Amino acid sequence: MMPETLAVADRLSRDLLRPVFQTTGKFYALVVILGVIVLSGLATWGYQIYYGFGVTGYNWPVYWALHETNFVFWIGISHAGTLISAILRLVNATWRRPVTRCAEIITAFALMIGAMFPLIHLGRPWLAFYLIPYPSERGIWPNYRSPLVWDFFAINTYLLSSLLFLALPMIPDFALIRDRATGWRKKVYARLSLGWQGTPKQWHRLETAMHIMALAILPIAVSVHTIVSFDFSMAVVPMWHSTIFGPYFVAGAIFSGIAALIIVMAVLRRAFHLESYLLPLHFQNLGKLLLLMSLLWGYFVFNERLTAWYGNIPHEMNVFWSTQTGEYAPLFWTMVLCNFVIPFPLLAIRRLRSVTTAVLASCCVVVGMWLERFLIIVPSLSRKSLPYAWGSYSPEWPEIVIMVASFAAMALLYVLISKVVPLISIWELKAGEQPAAHSPTSVHEAETAGELR
Amino acid sequence: MDRRNFIKTTAAAGASATLAGCGNPETQLIRFIPEEPLFPGIATWKPSICPLCSAGCGLHVRVMDGEAEVVRNGEKGLLKMGLAKKLEGNPQHPISHGKLCARGQAGIQLTYHPDRIRQPLRRTGPRGSGPFQEISWDDAMADVLLRLNAIAAADQQKTLGFLTRRLRGQRNVLISTFLKEFGAPPATLFEVFSDDVLREANRQSFGFEQLPTFDLARSRYVLSFGADFLGTWNSPVAHSVAYGEMRQGRPGVRAKFVQVEPRMSQTGANADEWVPVKPGTEGILALGIAHVIFKANLRTPSAAGRAGDRIDGWNTGLQAYTPEAVEKRTGVATARIERLAREFADNSPAVAIIGGAPLAHTNGIFQALAVNALNALVGSVGEEGGLSFTPHPDTGTAQAGRRGLRELAAEILSSSSSPVQVLFLNDANPVFGTPPAWRVAEALAKVPYIVSFGSFLDETSLIADLILPDHSFLESWVDDVPESGTALSVASVAAPVMRPLHQTRSMPDVVLDIGRQLQRPVVLPWNNYEDMLKAAFAALADKSSNWDKILENGGWWSTASTGPSVNPARVTPAAATLQADPQFDGRAEDYPFHFLPYASQAFLDGSLAHLPWLQELPDVISTAMWSNWVEINPVTARDLGIAQGDAVEVRSVHGTIQAPALISPGIAPDVVAMPVGQGHATYTRYASGRGSNPVSILADLTEPVTGALAWAATRVGIRKLDNAAPTTPLIVFAGALREHEERHR
Amino acid sequence: MPHRWGMAVDLDRCTGCEACVVACHAENNIPTVGADEAARGRAKHWIRVERYWEGEFPDVRLKFRPVLCQQCDNAPCEPVCPTYASSHTSEGLNAQVYNRCIGTRYCANACSYDVRFFNFFNPVWEKPLHLQLNPDVSVREQGVMEKCTFCVQRINAGKIAAKAEGHEVRDGDISPACVQSCTANALVFGDLNDPDSAVSRLSRSPRGSKLLEDLGTEPKVTYLERDAWHDAGDPRRG
Ligand SMILES: Nc1nc2c(c(=O)[nH]1)N[C@H]1C(S)=C(S)[C@@H](COP(=O)(O)OP(=O)(O)OC[C@H]3O[C@@H](n4cnc5c(=O)[nH]c(N)nc54)[C@H](O)[C@@H]3O)O[C@H]1N2
Ligand SMILES: Nc1nc2c(c(=O)[nH]1)N[C@H]1C(S)=C(S)[C@@H](COP(=O)(O)OP(=O)(O)OC[C@H]3O[C@@H](n4cnc5c(=O)[nH]c(N)nc54)[C@H](O)[C@@H]3O)O[C@H]1N2
Ligand code: SF4
Ligand code: SF4
Ligand code: SF4
Ligand code: SF4
Ligand code: SF4
Repeated sequence: MMPETLAVADRLSRDLLRPVFQTTGKFYALVVILGVIVLSGLATWGYQIYYGFGVTGYNWPVYWALHETNFVFWIGISHAGTLISAILRLVNATWRRPVTRCAEIITAFALMIGAMFPLIHLGRPWLAFYLIPYPSERGIWPNYRSPLVWDFFAINTYLLSSLLFLALPMIPDFALIRDRATGWRKKVYARLSLGWQGTPKQWHRLETAMHIMALAILPIAVSVHTIVSFDFSMAVVPMWHSTIFGPYFVAGAIFSGIAALIIVMAVLRRAFHLESYLLPLHFQNLGKLLLLMSLLWGYFVFNERLTAWYGNIPHEMNVFWSTQTGEYAPLFWTMVLCNFVIPFPLLAIRRLRSVTTAVLASCCVVVGMWLERFLIIVPSLSRKSLPYAWGSYSPEWPEIVIMVASFAAMALLYVLISKVVPLISIWELKAGEQPAAHSPTSVHEAETAGELR
Repeated sequence: MDRRNFIKTTAAAGASATLAGCGNPETQLIRFIPEEPLFPGIATWKPSICPLCSAGCGLHVRVMDGEAEVVRNGEKGLLKMGLAKKLEGNPQHPISHGKLCARGQAGIQLTYHPDRIRQPLRRTGPRGSGPFQEISWDDAMADVLLRLNAIAAADQQKTLGFLTRRLRGQRNVLISTFLKEFGAPPATLFEVFSDDVLREANRQSFGFEQLPTFDLARSRYVLSFGADFLGTWNSPVAHSVAYGEMRQGRPGVRAKFVQVEPRMSQTGANADEWVPVKPGTEGILALGIAHVIFKANLRTPSAAGRAGDRIDGWNTGLQAYTPEAVEKRTGVATARIERLAREFADNSPAVAIIGGAPLAHTNGIFQALAVNALNALVGSVGEEGGLSFTPHPDTGTAQAGRRGLRELAAEILSSSSSPVQVLFLNDANPVFGTPPAWRVAEALAKVPYIVSFGSFLDETSLIADLILPDHSFLESWVDDVPESGTALSVASVAAPVMRPLHQTRSMPDVVLDIGRQLQRPVVLPWNNYEDMLKAAFAALADKSSNWDKILENGGWWSTASTGPSVNPARVTPAAATLQADPQFDGRAEDYPFHFLPYASQAFLDGSLAHLPWLQELPDVISTAMWSNWVEINPVTARDLGIAQGDAVEVRSVHGTIQAPALISPGIAPDVVAMPVGQGHATYTRYASGRGSNPVSILADLTEPVTGALAWAATRVGIRKLDNAAPTTPLIVFAGALREHEERHR
Repeated sequence: MPHRWGMAVDLDRCTGCEACVVACHAENNIPTVGADEAARGRAKHWIRVERYWEGEFPDVRLKFRPVLCQQCDNAPCEPVCPTYASSHTSEGLNAQVYNRCIGTRYCANACSYDVRFFNFFNPVWEKPLHLQLNPDVSVREQGVMEKCTFCVQRINAGKIAAKAEGHEVRDGDISPACVQSCTANALVFGDLNDPDSAVSRLSRSPRGSKLLEDLGTEPKVTYLERDAWHDAGDPRRG
């Protein structure tokens, strides 16, 4: 073992494990603030259940609105992680190493939050178990023809697999913590690390498992957001009933996912002083991906809009114009601004590329993509086929509180997990720092040796 | 053990048993022994009569067992009883033909209304302020008797007044007999939308002081002047049934229907041709049409007979009514007048209808006579497909005589001591329904003692000193002799379909009781109202069926139509020169718009505004619920910068109200319209303080012959109220106005 | 042969009187929601009379169209329901099983006719208005979707009565509340499997069409368009 290698490994472990072992007052303050917001969101949901769904701004005929927007939005965000890390893993992009964990955590949490919304949006959430296929004495099963049932399966599958995908590469890091921790923590991490000893056989198995997971999770992720898009495109609602929705939604999901990832990384970089791990290079590379997705998104929107406009089906045109020039036009053009007009130059012009611009662009994209979800759902429902039944929607405080709480939940979960696991995969990073000394086994051995000394 | 004690005992036992049982307070109530045989879960249908408008539709009530909270022997408890569940038209009834209008369907909510007055009330606070005390019937009767005995003792019987909605059938006979026997003047009738002008015109033209009946089902051409006959006017259900037949009931024959009116009504919306006309010039248009018919030799003036004689210049060919002249006065194009005239004369049987706003102008009688003459001219009177007068069965006659509310109020106000010392109020709300210049509230305030039979606290019963709540119609013996709507002779009658829910009593029985208990009794030949009905129907019963059969059918009706078309016995003096042009209140420069209040589809004159089903019924044209509005033409609205829902001030010489704007393409640019019905200061939780009352800004113009209020003769100015939301917002059910949105891009 | 219930709506007869609307409320225990809720778009009318303006003053027309559940044979509200709360019966009705409904509101989005109404709150009948409630129809709790059932309780009662009397259901035996009350007899109900029933005959009328027919929902409600009048001497005139 070369000593400098050990030193590097040591520094890595020290820097990246610091948040796990050191808890500052700031942490508690943050947890309390975010916790209160999340709790008020849960309380609001309770209020909505107790008094009735009518406390929201929902009405006839806009029966889906903010809750569903947030559902699609969060499921979209969840594509950050898995997809990005899986793709980058598969193509073995080495710059990915400090990024993957961040992304995978986003995926898991965004999914958990997103999956709450189908429950929140129910009129009678206490009966949500009807969606579960269980044998009942009545012989009634869920309706497998319903996209909502597809959703149920798709999201559960995705959640399970992304949790697995997140957990697998955590094992070596858990072991690392186990080895440094004392007391109860040691016991917990001993459990979590599943007997990880860093033997070559274990490394090999982990690598294989990760490879399989990365391969498997790609189609799952694509199918999930396709199925989410089916919630809309399967219904004969003007501007919903479109074949483009599948890829359009997936592209949008990845788009918003990358943006979310960039923002999260920037925050972590600041908060945990990870400037030397999360390098401008990472932001640049992700920025390039974001640029690509922005172009793709623009392409899809152009397709969707052009075909609707050219087709000139009266029912669709009512929705179309309501978004282009009518009631929803301000939102629509803000969305175009946020998803294309602003991020494109920021990301495309070489001179402008920096961490700040990437974050700026990403913030725009997150807002824009949220608006996109809203604009897909609400204008169509407010202008269905019979003009007599046209309506409109503006949210009441419960939806807004719940939505704010969902963002707070994301932050809270992130803050909490920073206590549990290093937010950057230490072993992967170590493997990256010593490309020559691969395999990781050596790093680990070194680490263990250091411990022993 | 007598029944009374038995009930008490079982009730007590029930109470203790249930108290020990569940915690639900409802089950802790005493359970009374049912008072009637009941078949659980089995629905029975019992006849009754819709009391909500003057049509008098016969109905069937679905009655099923249920548990109601009632008071028996001063104790509150649960009673299993037959409860009315739904109202449907009586299929055999010659007016309703098995149908009811939207209002009739909602009539059931009168009985179950949460704000019904449940027992007699005595005023405790200052008049009009509200506080009442619940008292027993014994105390209530003592109060009335004290007052009536006092005026009788002072020989002031003529100071007893009775103010009521137009009564018919035996209630009318009873009240008029009671008043006569007591020594009081006849009852004062009050309706916001009274048809007295048309009755008078029909008396002059045809000898029947009665509303006409139309044989629409067999008409080939219907020319209606402002009559909302499918919605609110005369006999809407009978008209609707016949209208359906007129459209599609005869293979190969479909009548044309033309509606003449400045604001498109629900009825007008169904017309094949809609002819907007300057308000108050409908009669001129009718004479223009007659002129063309004469000119083209399609008919001769003499064909109209007596009805023609009523019109100045009729027999000389109506020289003043050339289409060109009529175009100037009415705004209807010459060519159109000529075409309508030809169509009307060529498509027999044709019938012309006038009703509603055209009669509510200062020239109302002229307008009605003109349309009557037009009918007579094409031979539609008493003929198939034309108009006729419902023959009335002989079930007793009421005392004639008329003292209008306007005169009564003026009399009270002008004398130092009120000529009315005790006033009975029945089913009328004049404080809400009269123009401010009548000063009705002020006049009533001078009446020392007012007794109301009301079931609800409205603006007028609020100033009563004593309220003797009537049963709902479903809890009472009811009867009716429809004035129009059928060619058959009809007398409807029905027994109560359910036991009273509250401590109320039927008005006719209370009047009979009062008569008996007076110090100088007014003894009428009936023990109770049921007896009275039985006696009255005895005459009819002999002819074709017995009392039981009549009760089962919901009334008696002749099998074939009878009666002459023109009553030769009632010849009237020759034509007086009548004012053909309408007069309006308010100078056109200051008040540029004609103001058209109209009976609302849901609330009629406002008497139904307390029914939640009707409040939430989207008006079929505006789709508004729980609101009222002022209808404005889009061009006018644009000129004045008014958008849909904006708060608009409507100002006449007599007052100002505000309402949200409804931009409607179906109204002339120089007319603004408002439905009557909302704007109640007090009328149950559902109607109080909702919207504004257009009657409150009407001018005191009348039709001179009948003295009827010319409620369509007011002019107003409107303006947008900047920076103000309407006090009651416009709540609409529908999104868009048009099926294909016009796009200007 | 099983029944296949259908309706014909003669727009040439319909006067826009809305008796059908109140009749449906009375029959089916549809609660009123009050002014505030109505203002927020929560009013429930299983049948509504749509009105559309055409033209501008003075050449303006108004058209009425009663719209209720079209009882689509190919109902878009059915496949999307995850719990089979919206499902098809053997008599072709689109049934709404309140007990199964979890309130996703998906069916209402999918329904092109906007005839499905969601219970945003528990219904309220201020006492004693509740005494009017029809015991044959269940009331719906908060969170449940509801809509026109073609008055299935009346259909069943009619079938039971016919069976008790020992005959087949005859045309006209069964009338949903709106049909019963329709003042102009514009609404006609009956069995589409009986080619001689009034509704079958009307459904074959050349004036007949389906609402949003191009969507392929295969409604069982047929609308007969308003007729025109032709002057005497016009050969088209009847
Ligand atoms: N909307 C709706 N409808 C339902 C159901 C639902 O959940 N919702 N549930 C269904 C189910 S599971 C059932 S079992 C049925 C129940 O339907 P029903 O059998 O109609 O039920 P009950 O209301 O109990 O009515 C029974 C009647 O019998 C009478 N009765 C009581 N004791 C006696 C007696 O000793 N002799 C006689 N002759 N009569 C007696 C009672 O007064 C009552 O009127 O309803 C079904 N219908
Ligand atoms: N007070 C009172 N008590 C009674 C009766 C009465 O009339 N009055 N009637 C008695 C009679 S006859 C009967 S049959 C019983 C009925 O008693 P229960 O069987 O309790 O009847 P329900 O309340 O109709 O339905 C039970 C629950 O099933 C749910 N449900 C619907 N679909 C499904 C599904 O697919 N899976 C699951 N797990 N649940 C589902 C519904 O939402 C509901 O909450 O009640 C008895 N008890
Ligand atoms: S027309 Fe309507 S309100 Fe008038 S009596 Fe008939 S059902 Fe009643
Ligand atoms: S009209 Fe709507 S609710 Fe009725 S069956 Fe068709 S899709 Fe379903
Ligand atoms: S709201 Fe009820 S009926 Fe409609 S889709 Fe959801 S569960 Fe099915
Ligand atoms: S068929 Fe019955 S449920 Fe449907 S609209 Fe008519 S009355 Fe209402
Ligand atoms: S009751 Fe008949 S005529 Fe009246 S609005 Fe309804 S469908 Fe039309």
